[in-house]
Amino acid sequence: MGSQKRIAKELAELTETAPEGITVKLADESNLYIWNVYMEGPENSPYQNGTFHLTLTLPTEYPFKPPTVSFRTKIYHPNVTNDDKGSMCLGMLRADEWKPSSRIQAVLQFARQLLAEPMPDDAVEGRIAEQYKSDFARYEEVAREWTRKYASSSSSGRA
Amino acid sequence: MSTASVSASASPSSNLLPSSSFSPPSASSDSRLGPLRRLSQLRAYTQHHFSSPQHTAASSSSSSSSANSQRVSRRHTLGNRVSWFSAASTGPESSPSTVETSNRAPCPESEHQSTFARYSSVFFPSYRGLELDLRSQPSPSTESPSPPLRNETRRDIMARPRGSSQAVDARSNGEVSSAGNIHPSALESPDPVVSESPSTSSPRPKQKATIRFFPHQDSHASSRPSLPFIPISRTLPSDSCVIRVGRYSERDGLPVANPTEPSDAPVGFKSKVVSRKHCEFMYLNGQWHVKDVGSSSGTFLNHMRLSQPNIASRLYTIKDGDIVQLGIDFRGGEEMIFRCVRIRIECNRSWQQQPNEFNKNTENLIKNLGKGDTADYSGCRECSICLGSVLRPYQCLFMAACAHVWHYKCVSRLIHTPDYPMFQCPNCRAYTDLSAEVDDTNDLEEEEEESKSASAEDKPESARSETHTPQPEANPATPPSQTAGDERRLETRLPVEAGLAANIENMRLQDLDASDDNSAPLPAPTSNPDSAPSNSNHEIPGWQSLTQSPSSSHTRQAPLRAETPVRSESSDENPLTPLNDSGPLALDGRAAMP
Repeated sequence: MGSQKRIAKELAELTETAPEGITVKLADESNLYIWNVYMEGPENSPYQNGTFHLTLTLPTEYPFKPPTVSFRTKIYHPNVTNDDKGSMCLGMLRADEWKPSSRIQAVLQFARQLLAEPMPDDAVEGRIAEQYKSDFARYEEVAREWTRKYASSSSSGRA
Repeated sequence: MSTASVSASASPSSNLLPSSSFSPPSASSDSRLGPLRRLSQLRAYTQHHFSSPQHTAASSSSSSSSANSQRVSRRHTLGNRVSWFSAASTGPESSPSTVETSNRAPCPESEHQSTFARYSSVFFPSYRGLELDLRSQPSPSTESPSPPLRNETRRDIMARPRGSSQAVDARSNGEVSSAGNIHPSALESPDPVVSESPSTSSPRPKQKATIRFFPHQDSHASSRPSLPFIPISRTLPSDSCVIRVGRYSERDGLPVANPTEPSDAPVGFKSKVVSRKHCEFMYLNGQWHVKDVGSSSGTFLNHMRLSQPNIASRLYTIKDGDIVQLGIDFRGGEEMIFRCVRIRIECNRSWQQQPNEFNKNTENLIKNLGKGDTADYSGCRECSICLGSVLRPYQCLFMAACAHVWHYKCVSRLIHTPDYPMFQCPNCRAYTDLSAEVDDTNDLEEEEEESKSASAEDKPESARSETHTPQPEANPATPPSQTAGDERRLETRLPVEAGLAANIENMRLQDLDASDDNSAPLPAPTSNPDSAPSNSNHEIPGWQSLTQSPSSSHTRQAPLRAETPVRSESSDENPLTPLNDSGPLALDGRAAMP
């Protein structure tokens, strides 16, 4: 269980000096491997003013295996599956891209960056990606609508 | 290593094979020794282009001896490197090994570099195996263009699950043509990568280029395992050398996986889907390139097929981390012999293996370990696995060749994998062959050799001084006028080299043509003088004086030196077609490409 030490360290760092717009805490104080992450929508994105609840799950083999990130809050985004899983396609989290020296902080920052700049070429939601490319205004509109509906502070936490 | 030393002198000469078929047989046996050995290795490759019965027969005698020594060396590859080395040096190859010494001499920088190597090897045992790389080019600029490529690569990988078959993907015309955008070749019109890199990356044009091949397994469950092979490392004895890759053949002798000295020995894979002549790797203008030489089942660069079956491709630049696949699984790849070969390329890593701030810091840290308060821990880094400080005395640490350090306990999981002895740095992804470095005991001898050669260099020797002067000017980054002037001087002073170089360049061109155009089976020997209008006057005299030259050492060094003027000349006129010494021939070859 050498991973626990590292995870605890990363968690401590993230709690002390949280990156902008990101708050983390353990879902269950006795379990280091599941984190609740609250991510504010980046400014100048349709997700602005929304707070998104994500779950970060660490494998027991961490850091040799990558963590997984999933959105608990519904989000209209080309790189997040629009289902109850809300899994996110992050390049650096794929098994062959992952490096043990990567950190959770980087993962979360990357995830937030993806909110600011979706990557429609690596989309998991092809339809949204298509719309993002061809009808950006409409995409923004829906994303903003969903953010207000599901991710506004009054409704945050509701899946 | 024996083959390395031979090829250092001989590989350009073996390109001259067709010419030698009409050369007077009076050539001194001394100067032929190297070429013949080399020839035996390349026979399988060359005989298709140039049938040369007399040499084939002549070489068969020497091939048996060299094959023997290779077999010996192979047996010791994983075990005892010492006996391998001594077998070579005491064996029939002892005379070529002196050639090696003299070939190393012309590198003026080697002395202080090797000082570092010697110095660092004390503290960096893992550097030993990479000592040869210390002289290869620092190439910051070759790294810089890689991010966009990496992007493409990643996208490609991501796209893979959607395409059912890579082969189908890669065959579609769109993919193939897009390959041109991603990997601009030396023959392609203006290309910042190729044209820019020499200016920044070749302050020492004489430095050697190193490339390493590692087996690559696709991480996606859908694809079958590729052919396993032990990691292969090659350091080119001279930039003009080409690493030929093809199916393993008994006639080539056992493949030499990791020669400790420069070698361009062919690389063979035991797979039926690999053609006998499959592809070639070459080093041009500070960039490694790959080229399909008319394989039947294709060469794939990052999943894109380079050419149609049985048609040679143009040159494609390759970068560190690229995946080159040879052939496609046949009959489902159930049997090992029908599996394709996936090679992960490691090149342009020399910046990492040269003294730099990072590894010097590490060196200091190691030196200061346990010295208490006086220790300078300024460059202290943490273990990227546990995120704890690495540097505490009395802890077991592990340092990779890239100078990244971890607690042994933390990193042991990555060491003891099924891939062992291959170790991939979790920080920078550099691969290290752990087995190759642990028992590398050649260092001392190599250092001695180097210091010997360095002292030999001090003696005023006209041939050597001639070698030195053109080197810096050969850098394409220098003003053209200077280069041109130097060239002229070179051509007048060294007609032998110029002629030889022209010969080499033309041979390669012809080689390329021959494989492109089946209707012209053997254009090389006859059309050679005509096809090189600019150099033809030098060529014949050059060759004759070479063969009649009484000084064998001069003869042996000639090919090495020959490379520089030609390179600077061609890259001056057109930095993108360094091989195209004789007009549009190379372009014709490309026209056949998709």
